[in-house]
Amino acid sequence: MLEACVFATIMCGFFGIIAKKNLFMKIISMDVMSTGVISYYVLIASLNGLFTPIIDDTKDVAYADPVPQAVILTAIVIGFSIQALMLVGVMKLSQNNPTLEHHKVEKNNTP
Amino acid sequence: MNHITIACIILPFFMGFSAYLLPKVARFFALLVAVVSTGYAFKIFLDQSPITLELLDNFGVTLMVDEFSAYFILTNALVMIAVILYCQDSDKSAFFYTQLIILHGSVNAAFVCADFISLYVALEVISIASFLLITYPRTERSIWVGLRYLFISNTTMLFYLVGTALVYQANYSFSFAGLTNAPPEAIAFIFLGLLTKGGIFVSGLWLPLTHSESQSPVSAMLSGAVVKAGVFPLMRCALMMEELDPIVRMFGVGTALLGVFFAVFEKDTKRMLAFHTISQLGFILAAPLVGGFYALTHGLVKSALFLIAGSLPSRSFKELNYHPINTAVWIAAAIASFSISGFPLLAGYGAKILTTKNLLDWQVIAMNVAALGTAISFAKFIFLPHGGKTDVKPGFWRAMVLLLGGLITANVLYYQAYTIENTTKPLITIAAGWLAYNLIFKRLAIKLPRVMEEFEHLIGVMTLMLMSLFWMVMQWWAI
Repeated sequence: MLEACVFATIMCGFFGIIAKKNLFMKIISMDVMSTGVISYYVLIASLNGLFTPIIDDTKDVAYADPVPQAVILTAIVIGFSIQALMLVGVMKLSQNNPTLEHHKVEKNNTP
Repeated sequence: MNHITIACIILPFFMGFSAYLLPKVARFFALLVAVVSTGYAFKIFLDQSPITLELLDNFGVTLMVDEFSAYFILTNALVMIAVILYCQDSDKSAFFYTQLIILHGSVNAAFVCADFISLYVALEVISIASFLLITYPRTERSIWVGLRYLFISNTTMLFYLVGTALVYQANYSFSFAGLTNAPPEAIAFIFLGLLTKGGIFVSGLWLPLTHSESQSPVSAMLSGAVVKAGVFPLMRCALMMEELDPIVRMFGVGTALLGVFFAVFEKDTKRMLAFHTISQLGFILAAPLVGGFYALTHGLVKSALFLIAGSLPSRSFKELNYHPINTAVWIAAAIASFSISGFPLLAGYGAKILTTKNLLDWQVIAMNVAALGTAISFAKFIFLPHGGKTDVKPGFWRAMVLLLGGLITANVLYYQAYTIENTTKPLITIAAGWLAYNLIFKRLAIKLPRVMEEFEHLIGVMTLMLMSLFWMVMQWWAI
């Protein structure tokens, strides 16, 4: 069930990238998609247990897998920095193309 | 050797940031990094002992260094040195060199890593650094081209991440070797990411615009070294897992034909070179075992040609036919074109023979057609009128001496290729190609539509590729 929701998020983001005309909205859709991917990693981490993986003698419980969580942190940071870069690019483009419709931007800038 | 490997990976990043703090010496830092990489590549060749490093544990960073990666590292280093020499006369800022060093470092990292997460990080750093290099002129067009590149590569890397998660779920490890146990959808997702990053087949059609609209030194770097970061893991997977080998070879053949088809009809120098890069990546993939040597020769030739194209007075072949170019530049272009068409005495010949020997039966005809296409498209350079007077910067010549000298030296590596039987075939191909060019293609004025290169279609093609990859993997699953 949760897995289905995660994939639905990824797909929503992907279709947003295709369907939205505005470049800004496309970037937001990409963010939705990356949120989906990140939650998929969290989901995989919690398959074997839900407890925070801090070793403690008193408790003997099923811990969540720390590896996917550690790995996805890197991906979050990278995704965030790429997002920032793209928004700066879009800001620059918006000076000459205030509507930011990608058809127009593409037509103006393809030889 | 282990320590040297780790030091060589970290050095570019360290130097990159220092270069930005000390702008006066940025160029020397860049040169130093590239020279260190060259030395490192030669050391791997001399040692002849592949090393595998597992940092942390089985889920940590895995590195794998062997002769195969050495070819790619050497390519990257030589292209980088040539680009720095070329940029000597221009007033590039420290920012440019910083990005160049970081790009170089991350491409090297992609060539030594053997797990999917390190590869992901390396590929994403490559995207960011290339974006900053493409948008260096800060014109509106360059920003759009860069944005398009970053958008496509980031979207495809998200699919790749999903695949990586599936691999981890199956193996509790991210190493390449885990791909065999992974479900077919994992392979489809990961391959989609790598195919798009590497510019293979229809998902690589973002490449022509990106490579042709960048400045010449950046195009040289992108075409000569950076695209190979996406191709290398594919070859590594194909070598490690026999089941994936047919899929990779099939994509190799498809890419070689597709790229050359567009290259033959293209009338713009830089776009022709970019399409031809796609086709050459196909050659590299078609015979994964010997792809390293091919990648080296292609990297040298393609960066040389991009630098030459940048110093020609016009980008259109039609105009160049009326304005004779500098004879010395023409000779450099001719040497590079001869090498890539597979003319004996240059490294391209040895690489072509080596690849041909490692092809499977069903690939041979298609690859010969692609080789003929290569000869036709480079006849455009060889038959340009020469004798004109255009000034070229001294940095250009230093870069050419390095790249073309490298081609002639690398030729000696595979001297066994020189038999009469081997020599006749490329000569016939080249002759046929020139004949076809002069009789047919020179007069042809077909403009192929660029629909497939539109942003929306590039994203849409990803879904189609994902479906077909899934179907292909399922096919061998069933066998």
